[in-house]
Amino acid sequence: MKPSRFAYYRPDSVEEALALLAEHDDAKPLAGGQSLIPAMNFRLAAPAALVDLGALSGLRGVSRAGDGLRIGAMTTHATVERSPEVARIAPLLAEALPHVAHPQIRNRGTLGGSLAHADPAAELPAVMLALEAELVLRSVQAERRVAARDFFTGLFATALEPGELVTAIELAALPARTGVAFEEFARRHGDFALVGVAAVVTLDASGRCGEVRIALLSVGDGPVLAERAAAALRGQQPNPELLRDAAELAGDEDIDPPADLHASAAYRRQLARVLTRRALIRAVERARV
Amino acid sequence: MIVEGNDLLPGSPDAIWDLLMDPDVLAKAMPGTRSLERVAPDRYEGVMRVGIGPITAAEFELTIALSEVQRPERYAMHIDSKGKFGFTRGLARVELVPGETGTVMRYSADLQVGGKIAALGQRLLESVSKLMLRQGLAALQQELQSRLGGTAA
Repeated sequence: MKPSRFAYYRPDSVEEALALLAEHDDAKPLAGGQSLIPAMNFRLAAPAALVDLGALSGLRGVSRAGDGLRIGAMTTHATVERSPEVARIAPLLAEALPHVAHPQIRNRGTLGGSLAHADPAAELPAVMLALEAELVLRSVQAERRVAARDFFTGLFATALEPGELVTAIELAALPARTGVAFEEFARRHGDFALVGVAAVVTLDASGRCGEVRIALLSVGDGPVLAERAAAALRGQQPNPELLRDAAELAGDEDIDPPADLHASAAYRRQLARVLTRRALIRAVERARV
Repeated sequence: MIVEGNDLLPGSPDAIWDLLMDPDVLAKAMPGTRSLERVAPDRYEGVMRVGIGPITAAEFELTIALSEVQRPERYAMHIDSKGKFGFTRGLARVELVPGETGTVMRYSADLQVGGKIAALGQRLLESVSKLMLRQGLAALQQELQSRLGGTAA
């Protein structure tokens, strides 16, 4: 399959890229091209122009930002996956990345591209929600920061305005006594997950749950925070029954999953219960160490 | 794929019936409708453009044929759309039940989606239909309120 005709630009600076996007109404930014190019080859997408961000080396790389991390939007999944800083400071991200598609795709696909695409079955949006990441967005006019919670607005929909680019993702360091875990189930490793869960649990000095964030993927229009499940844990001493009950809430009340050929809505709810329980057990264990 | 639900609409069944038969109102209830004409008392034809995320503006030719029309209580719509990316066909039933503060519209549709869009986007079909239904109902509410001057409960 071949795409329909399009103009191609490969700017050398972010400013130039933003100017091109502002100038061309029907231009799409090209990051790793792991979703956009197949869509174009199937002719499901036919942008009049592509603005290739591949030469913008300033948008690549992982660096320290205070106690936390700043990851350039054009950093590939593979680079993030192998980064010792990510493993130390954002272990949830490191744990989730091997589930993102296949190694070949992770070699080209980028963090910013995946977040801007906002596929409801993608791992990284849920991870960003669980980590309360901040996205740095830039347009010709201004730079602004948007919390992950406000960034994902619906099915393949984000807070990005036309002509705006994700330039970086910032992650704060996790507080002491925090454990994280990522779980997902896919029919084959690398397929779109039927359900996935990212969990972050912080315990207080007495071992009770403090801050808890549970983000699920592939159960709605975008990543979904399991608010009721998290509320059931806060202030409580975690034990197997409590974690199981919270996980049941996540599957029963926090989500309204869609059905497709691969999984019915009822099956997705059951997966959400089971995977949330597993993720919570592991996150609490890790928080105790 | 089965889509069903109900919605409280402002106005009497008779008033709502007339508006639901109006191609301009019907077009509002179907997001992405570019044009819709009533070509016969029981037949509408038009063009829809549906774009979700990476899928830009797939265009469909749309035909709606009415049957089992019992004004102002119920009718059925045979929906048939086809385009480069695939087709949708199915049967939607609409029932209007007078309520205390308006009219309850009950709807159920059994839709088949096929072709390229179904092959490539199968996992998204239900989410996309739910999204379009939500947008369509919200637009319909707004249209009915502005035309009937009522308020929805």
